[in-house]
Amino acid sequence: MEHWLYTFNVAGHSFTVNLDTIFTMWFAMICLIIFAFIATRNLSVVPGKLQACCEKVMSFFWGIMDTMMPAGNKQHVPLVASLFLFILFANLMGQLPLRIIHIKQGELASPTNDINMTAAMAIIVLIYYVGAGIIKKGPKFFLHDFSFVSIVMALVELLEMVTRPLSLSIRLFANIFAGEILVSIALAASAYFAPLPVMLFEILVAFIQATVFMMLTIAYVGSATGEEH
Amino acid sequence: MEHLQLAQLGAGIAIGFGAIGAGLGIGVATKGLMDAVSRQPEVAGKAFGFFLLGAALAEACALYAFVIAFLLLGK
Repeated sequence: MEHWLYTFNVAGHSFTVNLDTIFTMWFAMICLIIFAFIATRNLSVVPGKLQACCEKVMSFFWGIMDTMMPAGNKQHVPLVASLFLFILFANLMGQLPLRIIHIKQGELASPTNDINMTAAMAIIVLIYYVGAGIIKKGPKFFLHDFSFVSIVMALVELLEMVTRPLSLSIRLFANIFAGEILVSIALAASAYFAPLPVMLFEILVAFIQATVFMMLTIAYVGSATGEEH
Repeated sequence: MEHLQLAQLGAGIAIGFGAIGAGLGIGVATKGLMDAVSRQPEVAGKAFGFFLLGAALAEACALYAFVIAFLLLGK
């Protein structure tokens, strides 16, 4: 898919940004921020309807963190929950009829069909789990002791620092991108009812990919801060 | 042959071989789900969640091939 490219110069270097991705990303972020603000404004001991729903959602994250990570996992909930909610909202946004809004180049769709967006999230996860491991273990995060096996393992883990963000970002990007290609192929076959089952499948894919991203984030953080590493 | 035709051939081969691996992976995952459910029918709901997760991870390999094929076609 084409993107709406915008190039500007800062101190002799030219930077290119994808404006359509930025618009849809900020739309998703603003919706989530407003929702979170409304949901946490009037908190009470006896929860109302909205507060009960949000408590259910948060207890879902607590349950997953408790089953997949060792104790002391309270501090990692904000990253995991916001990643899941943002990716879910962004994936579902791709099924909205945003394409009827014409822009100069490209089209408005889900922001996760841009590799730059998913790569940014994967790099944030990389920095987070390396930082969490260093805070928890200090320099022993990189090298346990001086032996042949542990030096080889340290090199393998350095390689994993490249392959983990790569696979995280390409997995999410390719799923959403392939979904849009599928919808457009079905749209070319018959414009009325052929895209409908594909779009329903894409809603399932949106949930599954958000869950996969969250689960892998939890697994990486858990393995970085856990005992055996 | 022209370069474009060679690129199209390469795209077809890439997505085909990628789909072999992903199909094998999803097949093995489904076999594991069937084994687990027939042995213990009460874990069906929990096992299906893990099955979807594993199937999504296996399916991603075919999608890597899809990205490569799309890059080849875009040349």
